[in-house]
Amino acid sequence: MSKSDQKINPALPEVLENMIVANDQSENHVSVGHVPTNSDNEDECDLNEDDDDEEDHIYINEEMESGREKILISHAPQERIVPPLNFCPVERYLYRSGQPSPVNFPFLLNLNLKTIIWLANEEPQDTLLEFCDTYNISLQFAAINPDGGEDDNPWDGLTEHSIINALQTIVDRKNYPLLVCCGMGRHRTGTVIGCLRRIMGWNLASVSEEYRRFTGSRGGRILVELLIEAFDTNIVKIDKKQAPAWLVTALNE
Amino acid sequence: MPGPHTINKYIPPLNFSPVISTEVSLYRSGYPMAINYSFIVDQLHLKTVVYIGDKADLLPEYASFLEREQITFVHIPMDSCRDEGINERIDEVLRMIVNVDNYPMLLHSNKGKHRVGIVVGIVRKILQGWSIASIYQEYGLFSGGMKDETDLEFITMFVSHLETYKDKLPKFVRM
Repeated sequence: MSKSDQKINPALPEVLENMIVANDQSENHVSVGHVPTNSDNEDECDLNEDDDDEEDHIYINEEMESGREKILISHAPQERIVPPLNFCPVERYLYRSGQPSPVNFPFLLNLNLKTIIWLANEEPQDTLLEFCDTYNISLQFAAINPDGGEDDNPWDGLTEHSIINALQTIVDRKNYPLLVCCGMGRHRTGTVIGCLRRIMGWNLASVSEEYRRFTGSRGGRILVELLIEAFDTNIVKIDKKQAPAWLVTALNE
Repeated sequence: MPGPHTINKYIPPLNFSPVISTEVSLYRSGYPMAINYSFIVDQLHLKTVVYIGDKADLLPEYASFLEREQITFVHIPMDSCRDEGINERIDEVLRMIVNVDNYPMLLHSNKGKHRVGIVVGIVRKILQGWSIASIYQEYGLFSGGMKDETDLEFITMFVSHLETYKDKLPKFVRM
């Protein structure tokens, strides 16, 4: 693998601009990483060529009836994107992760987020605040211990109050697409997602399996699992007319 | 007073997770067992199941489940990334993934760790353009921290030769 293939440009503004351009193009312009055209004898790793050459990457099979366009998929797209630590989809247009940093912003733009739930007492990094401000993403703080100020410990669990706060946002589809995150995307995020799974009717062992998947080498915390187990799912008020379709389905079956 | 959602009846398959959860739904998991069927039926509404694995014969109960639910089943035989002709078979899986008509889709192996991990890693790289480090991280989440270097090398070096129709491409495919 060439270095250029893994190239990630951390310079934020340029990256964002490039991403926007790339997104705009993607609507009507699907190019492919590398196509066997006449120029195929060139260096195989010519991924740094100018955007002007992208037209060459569209391979149209003219023998196709009805003018359907065929494309060839081979290499990765030129612009690499970097998801935040511990990123994972949870349900349709619902995602979880650790705290996003500037290197992740082009990735986040692809998600078209409307809301980010930040599970901590302290504010996230300024860069994230600015990012949310610029792209009109509503950043919701779900302080883990509202009375604790900045003195909270990283190992403090979420209070029931903050879990419910976060879940009330999650069960309302007007907040979507939505990202739930905390410092590492492990325990606090895991608590909220675990309680959501219980609302959805998942059995406890499966909820724990999912929680532990994201907890890293030191494993899950028994206190978090107890919190999830004891959580009273009826406290969360769900208006089925406002809830995401997947949640309504889970509740109705 | 027991509420409407106090009964925990759903058991997702081992290592279950969404991979893509936008206008199309792509899921990953281990081999679905009978205890998982109600979850699959009620919450996933699958159109297609792609099994990447070594078991040539379906479990009878699984076969009748798929038939009852009218889920299209595709078996891509795979032992490991060292198989002969593995690139062509990975391309077959990708061919299913780049066609919006096949969704919602579940991709499963036996444990949902290594074989599915390879395919998801390749989807992340070729179709979505994720950085290699984040692909490794995700692979590790589902393999229980086991980093199979051969698998990761394979993902890193994999080049596809897939011809497909542009009008069937799901939107998550970044070019």
